[in-house]
Amino acid sequence: MSLRVKLAIIALLAAMSAVLAYPREDQLFAAIGLKDTVMKVRQGLDLQGGAQLVFQADLNGVEAAQRSSAIQSLIAVINKRANFGGTSEIVVQQQGSDKVSVSLPGVKDVDEAISRIGKTANLTFVEINAADGTQTPTGIDGKDIDSATADYDPQKLQPVVRLKLKSGDATKRFGEMTTKLSQTGNLLLAVLDDQPTFGPARTEAINDGIAILSGNMDIAEARKIAEEITAGALPVPVTLVEQRSVGPTLGQESVSRSLVAGLIGLITVALFMIAYYRLAGVLAVLALTFYTTLTLAIYKLSGFVPGYTIVLTLAGIAGFILSIGMAVDANILTFERLKEELRAGKSFRMATETAFDRSWTSIRDSNVSTLITCVILFVTSGSTPIIRGFAVTLGLGVLISMFTAIVVTRSLMRVVIRAPWARNPKFYGLKIAQPTKAEEAQV
Amino acid sequence: MNIIGHRRLWYAISLLLIVPGIVSLWFWGLRLGIDFSSGQLLTVRGEATQAVVDEAAIGFGFTDIVVVPASGDQTQIRYRDPSEQKDHEANHQRFRSALEQRGLVELSFDSVGPTVSTSIAQNAILSLVLASVAIVLYIAYAFRNTPPPISSWSFGFMAVAALLHDSLLLLGIFSLLGHFWAVEIDALFVTAVLTVIGFSVHDTIVVFDRIRENLRRRKGSFEQIVNDSILETLARSLNTSFTVMLTLLALLLFGGHSIRMFVLALLIGIAAGTYSSIFNASPLLVTWYNYQQRRMARQSAVRRKHA
Repeated sequence: MSLRVKLAIIALLAAMSAVLAYPREDQLFAAIGLKDTVMKVRQGLDLQGGAQLVFQADLNGVEAAQRSSAIQSLIAVINKRANFGGTSEIVVQQQGSDKVSVSLPGVKDVDEAISRIGKTANLTFVEINAADGTQTPTGIDGKDIDSATADYDPQKLQPVVRLKLKSGDATKRFGEMTTKLSQTGNLLLAVLDDQPTFGPARTEAINDGIAILSGNMDIAEARKIAEEITAGALPVPVTLVEQRSVGPTLGQESVSRSLVAGLIGLITVALFMIAYYRLAGVLAVLALTFYTTLTLAIYKLSGFVPGYTIVLTLAGIAGFILSIGMAVDANILTFERLKEELRAGKSFRMATETAFDRSWTSIRDSNVSTLITCVILFVTSGSTPIIRGFAVTLGLGVLISMFTAIVVTRSLMRVVIRAPWARNPKFYGLKIAQPTKAEEAQV
Repeated sequence: MNIIGHRRLWYAISLLLIVPGIVSLWFWGLRLGIDFSSGQLLTVRGEATQAVVDEAAIGFGFTDIVVVPASGDQTQIRYRDPSEQKDHEANHQRFRSALEQRGLVELSFDSVGPTVSTSIAQNAILSLVLASVAIVLYIAYAFRNTPPPISSWSFGFMAVAALLHDSLLLLGIFSLLGHFWAVEIDALFVTAVLTVIGFSVHDTIVVFDRIRENLRRRKGSFEQIVNDSILETLARSLNTSFTVMLTLLALLLFGGHSIRMFVLALLIGIAAGTYSSIFNASPLLVTWYNYQQRRMARQSAVRRKHA
């Protein structure tokens, strides 16, 4: 690839990532006619505030072969319950063999969420003998319910829960049961989690699969009960074993403090590089700026790839900032080499090429060791998203910085040393005399 | 500059730094946070004293209540709720309002159950072992074409000696911090140790790489070549550590409060890594080489005697 093509590609990439990384890129997009492009770096719970809950399922009563399907249906039910608030970024996933983790970004009332998710929500119908009060289960329970909604009784103007039974067998059995009850005059009681919730009351024969449950409740309660019934009962009981919640103020504070720290880190590293390596340092800083924007752009773009979205945590930001320090390592290695080659009397062009070639093995070998630790951290991080975040940003940083520090800086160096004025050793932090005329001629 | 010549001095300095930490680790161990020992951790805004918190906790039956001032105007309150796990959240809510009445507003709350903390601890140990093994294998592979007189495995083991040095120093300092300043280690601390291991090796490899290159191209004693290689990479080692430390210092001074100890651990580890890659790893190669030479000389002397 010719240098010109390379430079063109780099310039294009730089421009694109700068647009993407710009904090208010939606305004930029709006200016060119694209509307509603909400793009931002996804923030972890410790930054935007929220809670992570881990529930352990009690699988004692479940056969070994059935366990994984029990966990799957548990996840499905928890997902329905957790998502009733309407927040879309809720993530429910399996953790280990018997745990389910629930991430609730921005949740205000953690306590309410915990009780809603952890509720067994077991609905059963019980027949009560009108004469002696004995109770017999009717065999109809939450599994027979298709959905439930909160409604108003048009006559009494009272909140009710409207149940829709699953069509077919469930509706038929419910019809037979209610027909029998209407004939015997026995009462029907609906029990939710061992609490008598509706009734006992007389019932007429219901053959259309629509049951109206009335009781002493307001519309908000009716809605909550309807949601619980629709989501269904938990297939196994669960216990909350881990909880990490962060209030929104602490998260906001962390974000702004991290931004300041990152900027200060970036600026001091840039100043040091320019002070020490002069012109080469300026090129390294250009590459570093490119690195920063490219990384931010990749963070944002990853939001479009479900499953691979990079979620930035506080430790993740630390990993990113640390990677800024490490990103210049490749530059430092090369520039030290460049100085050596220049001292040995090589021409600028030769010295540049040799410096980049020779430092490559060191750069590759040393970065691989950091990548190894990142991979191991990622794999073993298991239950702790904060560690995973760190491993991802540091590892990604190492990879991207290898590209910017080598390809970008090298291309820039090649261009710069074409200019005669740039072939002055002083501009590279070297304290030797200007190259001789003969050396100049070699270039 | 003769770095190799003074290697005993460098080893002595390392020992001086490590031994107090090892003694502390032996007697006092590390102060384990709730990630490893399970329990509850509350961060509040406001300066809380032990007496105020103890008073707020009356009637809850909490044990091991520890109040530690965190950075900024935050205070960390750690406790252990011996009641059944299902009651923990209700207790936490009532405790939170008791604290709020005393002007302490909750910022974050962590609760870790015993099964979770056990698996975090297991993962931590697993990751440390995996990382060490993977790195020895990797270095032995990366340096497989090393010219005589030294084997590629020697590079691997000396790099591991350096990383053990760095992680022991880090663990030792945190053991001392834990004993005297109640600093606890959490899951992030393990991340810091692993990152330090990665960086330590990263730094050592650059010097080793130069030794390998110089062994191919130059004549001279092994000792001389190693010393030259250290000097040639000295500016790079110091500058890289300097830039990394600049970014870490910025994080330590200006970054988020909750990762302050994590950043401190990284800072200590990276300083140690720079020292060990210059003053331990490569000098150890020379010590090892000289030892082998002496042994071989002795063996051939014995053989000559018998002949």
